[in-house]
Amino acid sequence: MHRRIVEAAIVCLWACQGAVQAQEFKLFDKTVQVHGFASQGFIYTNDNNWFTMNTSQGSAAFTDFGLNMSSHLTDKLLVGAQVYDRNLGQLGQYHPSLDWAVADYRFKSWFGVRGGKVKTTLGLYNDTQDLDFLRPFALLPQSVYPADLRDATIAHVGGDIYGNISLTHHLGDFSYTAYAGHRSDSIYSGFNYLASQFQVFYSSYGGLQYGGDLRWNTPLKGLLIGASRINQDLSGKAKFISPYNPAGGFVPYSDTSKADWTNQFYGEYIAGKLQIDSEYRRFLHSDIVNGGILDTTDDVRAWYVSGAYRVAKRLTIGSYYSRYAITTAAGGPLAALFPAQTDTSLPANHVYDKVITGRVDLNRFWNVKVEGHFMDGYGDSLYPDGFYPQQNLQGFKPNTNALVVKTSFSF
Amino acid sequence: MKRRTRFLVASALMMLLPRLALAGDVKIVANPSLKADSISASELKSIFLQEKSSLGDGAHVEPVLEKRGPAHEAFLREYLDRSDDSLQTYYRALVFTGRGSMPKALGSDAEVVAYVARTRGAIGYIRTDTIAEGVKTLFVIAAGNAPRKIVTRVEPQYPETLRKLGIGGIVRLAVTISPKGNVESVALLGGNPILGESAVIAVKRWIYAVGSSRITLEVTIPFDPVP
Repeated sequence: MHRRIVEAAIVCLWACQGAVQAQEFKLFDKTVQVHGFASQGFIYTNDNNWFTMNTSQGSAAFTDFGLNMSSHLTDKLLVGAQVYDRNLGQLGQYHPSLDWAVADYRFKSWFGVRGGKVKTTLGLYNDTQDLDFLRPFALLPQSVYPADLRDATIAHVGGDIYGNISLTHHLGDFSYTAYAGHRSDSIYSGFNYLASQFQVFYSSYGGLQYGGDLRWNTPLKGLLIGASRINQDLSGKAKFISPYNPAGGFVPYSDTSKADWTNQFYGEYIAGKLQIDSEYRRFLHSDIVNGGILDTTDDVRAWYVSGAYRVAKRLTIGSYYSRYAITTAAGGPLAALFPAQTDTSLPANHVYDKVITGRVDLNRFWNVKVEGHFMDGYGDSLYPDGFYPQQNLQGFKPNTNALVVKTSFSF
Repeated sequence: MKRRTRFLVASALMMLLPRLALAGDVKIVANPSLKADSISASELKSIFLQEKSSLGDGAHVEPVLEKRGPAHEAFLREYLDRSDDSLQTYYRALVFTGRGSMPKALGSDAEVVAYVARTRGAIGYIRTDTIAEGVKTLFVIAAGNAPRKIVTRVEPQYPETLRKLGIGGIVRLAVTISPKGNVESVALLGGNPILGESAVIAVKRWIYAVGSSRITLEVTIPFDPVP
C-alpha cells in the first residue's frame, strides 16, 4: 500500500513537472521555502545480480524521493528539515526517515555552527550522494560512495563547526568542517542485509562518529583539493541463529568496533564545460563479536577518476574508472569459518568498474541518464560491496555488465 | 576661479563621476539602507555564494539574481567565475543539505531594480546602461593588493589655497582600468571634494601595465599640507 502511494506520487510529480516550481510561503512573517526531488531507476545486468535486486531480469526497484522546508528565522539563523524515503532492492523498503533537521547559525563567514541531524561532510559527494540531479552520473563511483552503505556515513545527530577563510596574496581560500555526533543505521541498510546471510539480524547498529574536512580552493582557477577523516565507535545488537545449534533458536549477538576510520583525499578541476574529479579512500573496520568469539578486520582501499563534459546545453557525457579492493582477516575461536582474504587480484576481493554515461536535461527540473557499467570482480566478503549472496545463489561470475537508466526530478 | 565656484564645480564633478565610474557590462545596485558605497569583489562573491550574509559594517544583505539575460551572464563571468548551471548546482546542493536557501531570482533589470529599491539590504546587478531609480550603485573593488603595476604615474596638483590653509587628507578613488592599461573611469569614494577633483584629474592620466581583463581598484592618495 505504502509503495503504491509513493509510486502514484512520483507519477504525479512527473506529470505536473511543468507546473511545479520551488514553492515559498509566509509563516509568521518569515518566508518558508519548500523543495523536493524524486528519482526512478532501472538496472539490467548480464550476469550477477546487483544491489539486492534481481537485475539479471531487469529491475526497477530503485526509487527515492525527498521533501524539505527551510526558513531564515534571522539574518544569520537558518532552520529546516528534510524527509527522505527510498527503495533499493531489499534495502530501504520505503521506510521514510528524517534525512536532516538543522539549525544553522553563521556568526561570520569564517565561523558558523549547526546542530541537529546534520549531513556529514566526507569527500566531494558524501553529503549530496542522494541528490542524483546534481551530477552527470546515475551512480556515483561505488568504490567510494556505495549506495548500499549510505547509512554508514550520510549523517550524524550532533553538531558541526564550519567556516570559510580567505587567504591573502591571492592564495585562494580554505573551507573547514569539524563535527561530532551519533550515527544510527536503518535496519534496512546493506550491512544488516549482508549479516542476515549469516543468520544475524540486527535490531540496532550505530555509535559515535566524529571527524573533519578541510578543502582548499587553490589559486589555480577551477582547482579544489581536500582531505577528510572520520572516526567511529560503533556497536550493534542483534539476534543470531548459531550454525552449531540451529534448533536452539535465536541467541543474543553483539559486536563492538575496535577501530573504524576513513581517510579520504580528493581533487576537483572545473574548466568551462569540463569537470574532472578524483578521490582516494582508505577505510579500516575492526570489530569484536560477542566478547571475542570472533574478531574481524576489513581493510578497503578505493579510488576513482571521473570526467564529464557538457557537449550541448542539454547534453552531458561522462566516464569514470573506479577501483575497490578489500582484504579481510579474522581471529578468535570462530576464525576458521572466515579465512583471511589478502589476494586482491581475485575477483572475490575487488570490483573494478569502467563506466560511461550520458545525461539529457529535458528542462531545468527533469533529466534522464543512461549509463553502462563494465565490472571486473564482485567483492564477495564480510563487508558489503554491492553484490550479495542472497541474490546470487548460483555463485558469482567474475564479471558483470550493467545498464542503468535513471530519471530524476527536482524543484 | 573663486573658491565657491571651484567648490560647485567639484560638487558637480562628484555627481557626474559615479556615472563615469561605471565599469564593465554590469553594475551592482543596492538598497539605499546600505551605507557602503563600494564593495570588494571577494565580498561580493561571498555574499552571492552564501558564505556571508552581511557586509563588513554588519549590515545584513540579501543577494538578488536574474534568471537569465546579458546582465546575469556578465555578472557570473566577472564576479562569480561560474556558469549558470554550475551556480544552480551549487545553490541546490546547499538547499538539499540544509546549508542554504535558494536566492530570489527575477526576470529582468526592471524587476531587480524594483525589488532592490523596496527590500532592505537587497543587493543585485543590472546592465550598466539600465536606469536605476530608487537604488544606489556600489563600486566593486578588486580584492587585495593592486595586481596591476603602474607604468606612468602623474602626481596630482595640490590646490594652493588648501595647502596654505593647511587642509589635507586622504582621498579614496575607485579606478577602473582597461585591459590595455588605460584608466577608463575614476570615481571619488571619500575625502575632500576639492582635493578629490585634483586627484581624479591626475589619476586619469595614469597608465598601468597590460592585463587580461578590466578591473577596478581602490587607490588612496594622501595630501599632506606640510612638505
